[in-house]
Amino acid sequence: MICCKECIDLLYDYIEGSLDQDTSKSLEEHFEECPPCIAFLNTYKSTTTICRDTLNQIEIPDEVRRALQSFLKEQKGQQDKK
Amino acid sequence: MSFTQQKEDREIEEALVRDLQAGNLDAYDKIAELYQKKIYALSFNLMRNQMDAQDVTQEVLLTLFRKINTFQGKSAFSSWVYRITLNASYMKLRSKKKEPNISIDELLPSFNGAGFQQEKIQDWSENTESLLFTNETREVINKAVGLLPEKEKVVFLLRDVEGLSTEKVSEILDLTIPAVKSRLHRARLFLRKKLSGYFEEYNSQKGET
Repeated sequence: MICCKECIDLLYDYIEGSLDQDTSKSLEEHFEECPPCIAFLNTYKSTTTICRDTLNQIEIPDEVRRALQSFLKEQKGQQDKK
Repeated sequence: MSFTQQKEDREIEEALVRDLQAGNLDAYDKIAELYQKKIYALSFNLMRNQMDAQDVTQEVLLTLFRKINTFQGKSAFSSWVYRITLNASYMKLRSKKKEPNISIDELLPSFNGAGFQQEKIQDWSENTESLLFTNETREVINKAVGLLPEKEKVVFLLRDVEGLSTEKVSEILDLTIPAVKSRLHRARLFLRKKLSGYFEEYNSQKGET
């Protein structure tokens, strides 16, 4: 049976679905016998989801948007004069 | 996003780039509109400062405008935009005093001699719902990401947060695919460990009441 260390080294490819059948099977056998590694797998996956959901909430604040708009206008104005 | 949609987006983008190269200023507005949020979000996540992110966004938009004729189309236009954004953000960061990074190895999992886990692992994955989007949780997550060493952080932001493919990230950062994967894996392990402390404490407090 593979050990926890090997199991965690394989997690990335396991989630991507890029492990070959045999390796995938031995990993799943390990999970059956090892609740801590299942907990690890679940929290590893959750980590990605909650970080993505949190960091993706960034919107451009209104004042920045306004500043960018006038900046672009200015740049275009300079270009038109050339 | 479907493959056809991606292909259409790419064609629209290529047409805009050609228009801009030909001196059409309306194309510039459209390109700015398409990219400014991505540029702002990536630079904000790297620097965590609104003024700095605004400066970088302006600088990148200006660079796109001025250097559009040096873009040769060898890589995707978006990869070029991301690279310019990263360079500008790093220049900005370098000009500021930096807090020393903690070593990522300290936060990787530890095993005994036989390769079995040494620490107690709690499964908090089912209990994050009620905590998500509270200011405290957001703060914890932002702080954890902020502590990632730069090499791992940038891969994490592009691949997991922006949702770009591994291939695209490898193109932007000029890294091999295995290098992208290994940095991302380390970033996730680091963040998992950091977040575990927070969610486990929350779970145990909930258990007591």
